[in-house]
Amino acid sequence: MKSAENIKKVIKNLDLEIDTNTQKDRIILSELLEAQEKSKKTNSAFAPPNIRRQIMKSPLTKIAIAAVVTIACVIGLSLWRMTGSGIALADVLARVEQVKAYSFKRTLHFWSEKVTGEDPNKPYIRGTFLISQEYGWKGKIERLDPNGGESTFNESCILPQKNTTIAISHKEKKYTRTQQDDGWIERVQKANIDITDPHTFLEQMLKTKYESLGRSTIDGIAVEGFRTTDPNSLLGTSSSNSGPSKRLDQKLWVDVKTRLPVRCDATWVDFDQMENKKKYDRHVLYDFQWDVPVAAADFEPGIPEGYASWVVKYPAHITEENAVQGLKVLVELLGKYPENIYHIVPENINDKTPIVLRLAEKSETPAALRLQEEIKGLADDEINNKLVDFLMPIRGLGRFYRWLQFDKKDPAYYGKTVTPKDADKVLMRWKVSDNEYRIIFGDLHAETVTADALAELEKLLPE
Amino acid sequence: MLEDKVLIWKFKSGSSDALCRIYEKYKKDLLRLAAVLSNNASDAEDIVHDVFVSFAQSAETLKLSGNLKSFLLTCVANRARNKNRANQCRQTAGPDEAQAVVSQSKTPEQWMIWSEELRRWSSTMAQLPYEQRETVILHLRAGMKFRQIAQLQGVSVNTIKGRYRYGLTKLRSILNGEMEK
Repeated sequence: MKSAENIKKVIKNLDLEIDTNTQKDRIILSELLEAQEKSKKTNSAFAPPNIRRQIMKSPLTKIAIAAVVTIACVIGLSLWRMTGSGIALADVLARVEQVKAYSFKRTLHFWSEKVTGEDPNKPYIRGTFLISQEYGWKGKIERLDPNGGESTFNESCILPQKNTTIAISHKEKKYTRTQQDDGWIERVQKANIDITDPHTFLEQMLKTKYESLGRSTIDGIAVEGFRTTDPNSLLGTSSSNSGPSKRLDQKLWVDVKTRLPVRCDATWVDFDQMENKKKYDRHVLYDFQWDVPVAAADFEPGIPEGYASWVVKYPAHITEENAVQGLKVLVELLGKYPENIYHIVPENINDKTPIVLRLAEKSETPAALRLQEEIKGLADDEINNKLVDFLMPIRGLGRFYRWLQFDKKDPAYYGKTVTPKDADKVLMRWKVSDNEYRIIFGDLHAETVTADALAELEKLLPE
Repeated sequence: MLEDKVLIWKFKSGSSDALCRIYEKYKKDLLRLAAVLSNNASDAEDIVHDVFVSFAQSAETLKLSGNLKSFLLTCVANRARNKNRANQCRQTAGPDEAQAVVSQSKTPEQWMIWSEELRRWSSTMAQLPYEQRETVILHLRAGMKFRQIAQLQGVSVNTIKGRYRYGLTKLRSILNGEMEK
C-alpha cells in the first residue's frame, strides 16, 4: 500500500523522460523566429521602444549593476584622495594589479519584499574563482534551485595563451571548447564583459564618491570600511541611467595591513511599480586569497571522462578577407545574402543550431543540398562538430562585424536589399579613417572611398 | 535564474538567440506538463507550440520580473485548461477516456517522443478530475505554491488545498488498486 506521503514522493521524483523530434524542433524554431521578426516589425510601426525605460527595467542592468556594485564599495572621489585612516583606494587598485594570482568566492542573492519563502541569506548562485595574470581565469559556479531541488554545477576557463575558452555543464555532461580569435581576450577585457575581474571594477569605481566606515574586524582581520550610495556611479555614465526608485548600498572592507580587499557587499534596491514591491539584488565577494601559488595545470579544466564535446572555432585572425570568405560561403549556401549577419551564427555557443543551418534547410542551392545530405539524421551535437570548419568563415564574418561595432567603426550591412549581382551597390561598409570608408560591394569586390562618395552610393540603395 | 534574467532582457531587446535558448531550455518541461495535463500528444504539442508562438510575439509587451520557467508553465496550464474545456464541450467523455491516450506510433510529424513512464503516468493522472490533476501536478512537479495555483484557477487557497488532498487520495486509491491487480 502506498501512503499519501509516498505518493507525493513518487510524483515529485518521477523521471518522466521526454524527447523531441529534431527536425520538428527546427521547423518550430523557424516559426518562432518568424513570429518574433513579424512582431518586431508590427510593433515598431506603432511606437519606438523606450530604450531608457527598457534598460532600467531590465534584469540584466540589475545584474550588471550588482556586479559593478560588488566592487563599487571600493571607491573614492579621486585617484589620490585619502581616507581618515590613510588608505587610498587607488593604492588598493595598485596593489591588486601587483598580485599575480588570487582567488575569491562570490554569492548572488535575489529576493522581494512581501514574498514569503524567499530567504535573503540564501544565495541562488555561488561560485569560486581563480584569476592569474599569467594563466587566465577559472570559475566554478553552483546554481541552487530555489525550490530545494538539485543544484547545477558549471565550470568555465579562459586560457589567454591558447586563445581558448572552455565551458563545462555537468548536468548535461557536455563541454564546449571555443577557439577564439587573437583579438578576443583584449576586447572582452576592455568591454568588461564575461570576465569576473575585481580589478576592472575597482578601476571604474575609483571615479565614484564614497565615505569611510571606519575600522572593524572581519574573520579576525582588521579592516577599514568604505561605503557609497551614489547610484550614478555604478554605470560610470550619466545620471540619466539611474532611476529615482533605485537605491544602492555598497560596502567594501580593506585589510589595513595588506591594503587588499577582504569583502565587498553591495545591495541594489529597486521598486517594482508593476508589482508594488521592493526587489533586492545582493552581490557578495569574499574569502579573497591573494598571491596564491598557481601552475598552468590549475587552469586546465577537469573534464570528466565520457562528457560530450562541442567544438567552436573562429579564424585566428579576424580580417576583411575572412569576412569576404564568410559572405561567399553564405551566398553559395543560401543563393543570396542573409538579411542579418550578426545573428546568423550566434556568439552564444549554447544555441544548438546556428540560424544559418536553419536557413540552409530551406535553400535549394547545390551547396545547401549537399549540406542537407551530409547532416541528414545527425543529432545537433554531431552536426555542430561535423561542421566546425565549415562554419568557421561564417563565424569569422559575424565576429568581424562585431569587432567593427565594438571599435566604433560605424559599420553597416545591406544584405536585405543587395544581391550578388549588384556590383555597384554597397553590401557592407565601415570607417577606416576620419574621411574614408571601406566598402564590400554586392559582387564582393572591395574599395576604399571618401565619406562623400559613400553617401552618394548609399543613396542608390533601395529603401 | 541569473541566466533567465539575462535571457529575458536579451529577448525583450529582440535577440533571436535568446528566443532559441529559451525554447531549448524549457521545451521539455513545458511538453511534459502539457502531456500530463492533457494526456494527449497532439493537444500537448498544440498547447506548447501556441505558448511559444505567443511568447515569441510578446517581446514588446512582456512584463516579466519573476521566474521565467514558472511564467511559461503557467501559460501552459492556462492553455491546457482552455483546451480541456473545449474538448469537454465537443465530446462527452466516456469511462475509458483516460485509457485512450496517445498514439503509440511515432510519425515523422510528431514532435514529442513519450517515454513509457510518462505515458503511464499521464494515463493514471487522467483518471483524476481535471482541477485536481492540475493542482497535484502544478504543486508537486512544477513546484508552484498553493497561493499561486489558487490565483491561476481563480479560487481560494482552501479550495486548492481541498483539490490537492482529494487528488492525492484518489491517486492513492488508483495506484493501490493497480498494485493489487
